[in-house]
Amino acid sequence: MFLLPKGNPLFENLAVSKLKLPDVLAKLTNGAFTGYASFVFQSSTAILVFESGKLVSALVEGQNGKKEAGFEALSALAELMVTTGSGALNVYKLSKDLTMCIHALLEGEILYKAQELKLIDIKTLLEKVKEDHMNGCLRIYTDEHSAMIFYKDGNPLGFFHDGSSDIETSSTESQKIAGLPGAKIDLFSTQSADELMGTNLLEVTNIQKIWDNCVALHKFDIDKTNLERQERDKKVTSQKLSELEELVKSIVGEYVGKVGRGLVDKELSDNGGNTCLIDADGAEKFVKGVEKAAKLLVSGTNIKLMMEKLSTAISTAKSEF
Amino acid sequence: MEKFFELLTQMNPLDLVQVVFWGLAGAISFYFSIGNARVWTSISIGFFLIFISQVYGINPWGHYQKLTAYHYIVGTVAIMTITHGFLEYYVFCRTFEISGNKLIVYLSTIAILAFSGIFLLINPTPSPNTIRNLKMVENAIWVFLCVMNLELIRKIYSAIKDSDISKGFIAFGIVFICIFLWRGSDLYLQIFQWDQDWQDIIAIMTEETSDIEEYIGRVQLSRDVMRYAGIMSSISVGGAFAYMYKLLK
Repeated sequence: MFLLPKGNPLFENLAVSKLKLPDVLAKLTNGAFTGYASFVFQSSTAILVFESGKLVSALVEGQNGKKEAGFEALSALAELMVTTGSGALNVYKLSKDLTMCIHALLEGEILYKAQELKLIDIKTLLEKVKEDHMNGCLRIYTDEHSAMIFYKDGNPLGFFHDGSSDIETSSTESQKIAGLPGAKIDLFSTQSADELMGTNLLEVTNIQKIWDNCVALHKFDIDKTNLERQERDKKVTSQKLSELEELVKSIVGEYVGKVGRGLVDKELSDNGGNTCLIDADGAEKFVKGVEKAAKLLVSGTNIKLMMEKLSTAISTAKSEF
Repeated sequence: MEKFFELLTQMNPLDLVQVVFWGLAGAISFYFSIGNARVWTSISIGFFLIFISQVYGINPWGHYQKLTAYHYIVGTVAIMTITHGFLEYYVFCRTFEISGNKLIVYLSTIAILAFSGIFLLINPTPSPNTIRNLKMVENAIWVFLCVMNLELIRKIYSAIKDSDISKGFIAFGIVFICIFLWRGSDLYLQIFQWDQDWQDIIAIMTEETSDIEEYIGRVQLSRDVMRYAGIMSSISVGGAFAYMYKLLK
């Protein structure tokens, strides 16, 4: 995403996770805001451009360079806000004209794209911009550097380059980049600011519905994930419990004989199934029950040994849950 | 006390030995019941009651017919209590359910014995014939329940044969075989009216004759079996409980 002039910052680094898109948009619309709002996420950046409270353009660009504009951008932004737990919102107030140029940069008509500067007559191009009373933005860049010249009615409004935070009046940096080997240009044009006022994405988009759908979808996804995790955990727990039950049966069987397995089954059944083995009270009742019944079948010495083994096995297993 | 020693001197030495052994067996079984699980209580009390039923021979007040009759009733209650205990043990082996408490077993036994006493008190004094009938009923119940207990013990053993105490049930099986022979031979004599009680009754009270002289061989054999199996029963009961105590220690 391009670096854009910051103008007059209204908010910076607001945590996106605490915000709701419809509320943000309503606030900017109601305040007749002119400028742009940038939502910076780890993997994407979204820019919303406002002219007198009207949303004139929306753009979301991912790290992979994939861009979405308009309705898709608003949907993508809502999804990013709902699904990512991080992200920051910055809101910058700009002049109407500069906002128009930002719009041109983001969604304007592309007249030149990645055109090598040495292959074109820049002087003629600039004259044409002036003659055509063009509104837009000329971007001059190399792999390392970038500068933008914003035009209104063919006249430069100002210059902006990476490393600066606001519009400058000097063209020195732009000329310097233009002189670098391998410099390229992009030229974007757009309608005038007044014409842009006829556009308002918020009028054709039910942002509340988009937001609600995203929230519902996200909740559904979370619930689904939770359910899957719970089922997975349940399965793992069930597997571990079965192994513990088998271990307990083999210990009791070792001292009591084959009836030991039945005895364990009965005590587990009386105490609500094998889950009692990992519950403090349940395990105690189970062990006492086994001990009581074993007294009718096993010698005191063997009961003592069996109880020690049982307690160790259950405690070890408990710590694994 | 003089009467007691007089009775001791009048008794057949083997009968006296039998009473002494039953006393030991009763003491061991009662002691066993105190420190052990409830399921054993019925069995232990039952064996202890055998001793009570057997001491009529040395009871100084044994000439009271109601008291003699009471001894036989206690004997009947004894085998019923023992059977109840083995039945409970068998149910435990199949279901692993242990219910109730020792106090209820003690109180129930006392209540049954008390009701039996009341039954005798409110009824006419039993004649020697009635006492003999009671003894015969007692023997019949003993023989029948011995067979039942042997079957229960077989089933218990097959359910728990790889446990520590399974061999203890073999010992109880031996006990019931001895008791079966003891009581069975007595019952045999009673059924054919070759028992001493009947001989005494006909000698004094009726003009009936006995064919005992014709079958003196089998009568003597039955009497010997009754006497020695009786002693073996008491010894084996004491031994079985001592062995069981050792196994459960």
